[in-house]
Parts: sequence; structure tokens; C-alpha cells
Amino acid sequence: MSDLKITNLHKHYGAFHAVKGIDLDVPSGEFTVLVGPSGCGKSTLLRTIAGLEETSSGSIEIGGKDVTWARPRDRDIAMVFQNYALYPYLNVKDNIAFGLRARKFAEAEVEKRVARAAEMLGIGHLLTRFPRELSGGQRQRVAIGRAIVRDAILYLFDEPLSNLDAQLRDDMRVEIKRLHKELKRTMIYVTHDQIEAMTLADRIVLLRDGLIEQQGTPLDLFERPKTRFVAGFLGSPKMNFVPATLTAAGVKLADGTALELPGRSGLKAGQAVMLGLRPQHIAMAGTHLAKGHVRVPVVIELVQPTGSRVQATMPLGGTSIIAELGAHDVSRPGEKAEIDIDMTRAVLIDTTSDKII
Amino acid sequence: MRAYHEQTMPATAVHPDRNFKYWLLAPAIFLLLLIGLFPLIYSLVVSFMRIDMMDTDTSFAWFYNYKNLFKDGRLWWSLAHTLLITAIALPLELLLGLAMAYLFLEKMPGRQIFISLLVLPTIISPIVAGATWRLLFDNKYGPINQILSWFAGERVNALWTINPTLVYPAIIFCEIWQWTPFMFLILLAALSNVDKSQTEAAEIDGARFLRTFRYIVLPAIWPVMAIAILIRGLDLFRIFDIIWALTQGGPGTKTETISIYAYTQGFKQFETSYTAAIAFLVVFILTVICTWAIRRMGLAK
Repeated sequence: MSDLKITNLHKHYGAFHAVKGIDLDVPSGEFTVLVGPSGCGKSTLLRTIAGLEETSSGSIEIGGKDVTWARPRDRDIAMVFQNYALYPYLNVKDNIAFGLRARKFAEAEVEKRVARAAEMLGIGHLLTRFPRELSGGQRQRVAIGRAIVRDAILYLFDEPLSNLDAQLRDDMRVEIKRLHKELKRTMIYVTHDQIEAMTLADRIVLLRDGLIEQQGTPLDLFERPKTRFVAGFLGSPKMNFVPATLTAAGVKLADGTALELPGRSGLKAGQAVMLGLRPQHIAMAGTHLAKGHVRVPVVIELVQPTGSRVQATMPLGGTSIIAELGAHDVSRPGEKAEIDIDMTRAVLIDTTSDKII
Repeated sequence: MRAYHEQTMPATAVHPDRNFKYWLLAPAIFLLLLIGLFPLIYSLVVSFMRIDMMDTDTSFAWFYNYKNLFKDGRLWWSLAHTLLITAIALPLELLLGLAMAYLFLEKMPGRQIFISLLVLPTIISPIVAGATWRLLFDNKYGPINQILSWFAGERVNALWTINPTLVYPAIIFCEIWQWTPFMFLILLAALSNVDKSQTEAAEIDGARFLRTFRYIVLPAIWPVMAIAILIRGLDLFRIFDIIWALTQGGPGTKTETISIYAYTQGFKQFETSYTAAIAFLVVFILTVICTWAIRRMGLAK
């Protein structure tokens, strides 16, 4: 059964068309992440699901009930806001209990639920504090507590971690993932951070300019992107794009370097393409050349060590590419090296349609 | 040796006259005290004397005038009238202002123009507003009776500024007409500053208007709202112009407020010392109310 079903949803702000016809089906218990660059309409989509923005056209069903024109409070949803939106004049306990009291729960039940939610999030000792006395991470926990204390059908998260520092963000990400495993509720999570999307999602919905570019499991999107945009959005460092021309056996780069492409058939020789190479699929030349790999001599341009790995920039076929190499593979710019490129993982992109071939 | 002196002299020369800046400030402060404090003290002194404009007697009467205050029934009635007007007009202005502020919180076409138009009454001088309303309320030529006649289907001849039962509604109406926009403007500014995501969160949490207002909006706007109430409360307590223009405190002394009574005593009866005593009674009452209100509203925080 699906907890959320969106059909041909549009959202206009005056002349601006923010959401341009989205169809989405979220099965019960799934963790769906809406991800995309800023301005892609992901937050608008979430706010429209919540009922905070009016639908321009299309329909929204939550838990099998059409709620397109329902008020937010009648939609059976809970939401965590980007800036937490804690009630500043209520203490932590009253913040978490607010929704329950508004829905006329018995005070004994309120106590029980607040205690359980607080325990789950490790904020039991903060219940009498006020929001202004809490740190960013604690506020975020309270905001999540306020959402999970209720039995909603949908739990919406609007970029909940973007105001936290990097360390806390990693911790809270784990926390949210753990909560989802424990609660087994349907969650919809908006972020612009592709790492959050990859790590949290059962399914990623990648949005671009108000439309769904591609949706699927994180690995599916990572390994089988359908467009250049998807290929470039997911993964860090970003995928390298090198202009090339198709030949009978592979591709030829702008400077004449020929790279063999194994296991591909029906390639149209002479067609202009983009060769997409992930930095992780480029390695220092080993003792023997693995099957499907090609060996290329390069000159290292720039070296960015990250500790465990090193990101090396080098020219390939007239374009600068980044390769993620072993920490001690290269040490300084100007070094000559040989790299092995795993051509079995390379993607080819039609330059006119930006679709993956 | 000589070079040493020349170097250190300027530094030591500055030190002895550290207080020079206070000398520079002194004339300005003296002037302020002269303008602000002197009349207050002078009228306090006058209130202990026996001055009126009929006589040359300027001997000290000490608390004679103050004792008379307690025996003056007309004074206490005027105080009661003042409180009555304040008690009715203040809550009405507050509620109307708040309702209008909520209305104009939404984005709508022409919002700016409407807000500017609504604020117009506050810009007009109260005495002019009162005079205008007196013409509007006029029983023979005023349009208000005429418009009421259309609805009643017969000639309405309400004596708005004379009839004892109509005169308070008329005064309070004018007062509300003129000063609700003030409340509206201040509350609109306060409401616009309430974090929108908090009210959205409350809406998703299932809270209805009153709960959201009580726990989220009111605490947020309270400091501003309290000050608006205080300002308007003080203004209403000292209400003069509108009533003077409409009724001059009449019929009889039916709508005489404390300010009108003080004016009458001072500039019609020429009881200068007694008027000074009334003025100090008002100062005393307002000081007590203000101190209490500021403490009660938690504004000192």
C-alpha cells in the first residue's frame, strides 16, 4: 500500500513554475529522499505535500485519502523544519507535547509518549529547558522528537541537518537512519546534500527544474544514471566528463588518444559523445593491466590529499580530470605517472540529448 | 632635557582636565533641566499656595488644596468618566487593531495603499478630528443622522453630542476611529516579525487559531503589544481634544474627564493653585499605574 501518491502535481508562484507535473508513489515504511540542486523545487514539493503551499493542479493522496485541498492539520503528517521552528516560549517537554495536547490526548498518555520520544532521542535530561538554552544538535533532536511523538502517516523532513556543523551532521544522519529502522514509518526527506541522500535513502528521487530526473535506489542511480545530470550530481568528487568521438572499438579523445571500450556493441562510429569517468574508477597503473582497463600516461597537475586517499588533477584528452588515487600514489604536481582507467564502468553520454547511451 | 619636556608635556597637560567634557555638556543639561524640571517644581510650589487670578494673595496654604481635592465630587466624577472611557476604548482599540493586523498580514493586491489609507486618522490632529466629527454628528446638518434616516425609513433626530445616553458612544467611537490605526500599525509590525515556520509547525501539529495565538504568537508580540497598550492607556487617561471639540465636557459635566476638569478649573475658573494640585494628583495616579503596569507586564526585563 502506498502512503503517499502524487499525481501530476503542479505548483506556480505567479509566473514562476516551481513544480512542473510530478508523479510520485511512496510505499509504506519507505525512506524517500528528495534531492536536487537549490531551486529544483524539492522544498516546494515537500511543502505542498504538507499543505503549507496550495496545490496549483494535480492531486495528493496521503494514506489513501485525497488531501489535495485539506488543511495541514487534517493531513496526518508530522514535519521537521530546516530552522527547527521550536516554540521559543515553551520548554522542551511542552514543545514535544504541543501536538498531542492540540489533538486532545489525555495528559497521562502525553506524559508517556513524551518520555518515550525523549528517551529515544537522548534528550530526557533537557525536558525543562527552553529552546534558547539548547545547542544546535539538541534543538534538532527536540524538533525530531516533536515529529515522532505523534502517530502520523507521513514524516516530512525539510533539510533538517543543513544548519548543523559537519561533525554533528554525520551523527544526526546516523540517528535519523536508526530512528527509521526502529519506527518503520514512511519518511520523506529533502536535502541538497548528495551524501545525505545516498546514505539515508531507500529510494532517491532526484529533481531538476521542477521535474523528476530519475528515481530509484541509491546504488541504482549511482551506477546506472540515465542522464548526464544524474551522473554528475551523485558521487564525490564529481564524475569527470571528457569530450570524445565514438570509433568502432571505443572512443577517441580530442587529442587523439584512443580508448578501448569492452563489451559494447552497436556504437555509431563518428558520433560526438561525453565520456563519463568516476574518479574512483581511475587508479595508478598496477603490475598487470586488468581486463577492460586501459593504461594512459599522464602528468599530474594538482594534488589534494584527503588523508586516506588523494585527489589528483591531471589532463586527459584536453580536459582536466580528477582521479581518486591511493594516499601515497602521487606526491607533487609535475610528476609523470601512468593510470589505469576501468572502461567497464565508464558511461557514454549523447551530447545532443544529454542521455546516457 | 629640553627635548624630553617637549615630548611629555602634551601628555601630562591632558590629564588634569579630564572633567572638561562635563563642562562642555553642562550648558545643554542646564537648559534641559530648566525646560523640563523647572515647570514641574514651580507648579508643585504653586499647588501649595493660594494663587488664583482674581486675587493677589500668594501666601502658602500648604495642603489646603490637596485636602479640597478629596471633598471635590466633580473631580472624582471626572476621574470616573476618564476611567470609563479608557476601560471601554482601550480593549476595543486593541482587539480591532489586532484583527486588522491579522487581516493585513496576508499578501493581497493594494495592501500598501490600504495600510496608508487606514493610518490617515492617526495623522490628523485630534482637535481637527473632533471638530470634523462634531459636524458629522450634527443633529440638523450632519450626514450621520441622514444616513441613519435612510435605514430607519423615518427622520432620525439623534442629539449625539447632547443626549446623555448617546454622548459616550459618540466620543468613544471617535476615539476608536482615530487611534485604532495606531494599534493596527504597531501590531502589524509585531505580527510580521513572528517566525512563520513556528506557526506552520503549530498548524501541522494540529493547533487551531486560539492555541497558536496563546502559546506562540502572543508571547512573541507581547513586549510590543504591552508598550502599545501602555501608550494608548496613558493617552486615553489624558483624553482632552476630541471631547473638547465634541461636547466640551457636556451635557452639564456628564462627559467631563480629568483633563477637561483641570482645564476648566485653571482657565475658566482661574483657580491656579487648585489646578496645580489636580495636575499633581494625575501625575501621582499615572506614576502608580505605570509602575504597576511595567512590573506586571514584565517589561523591565
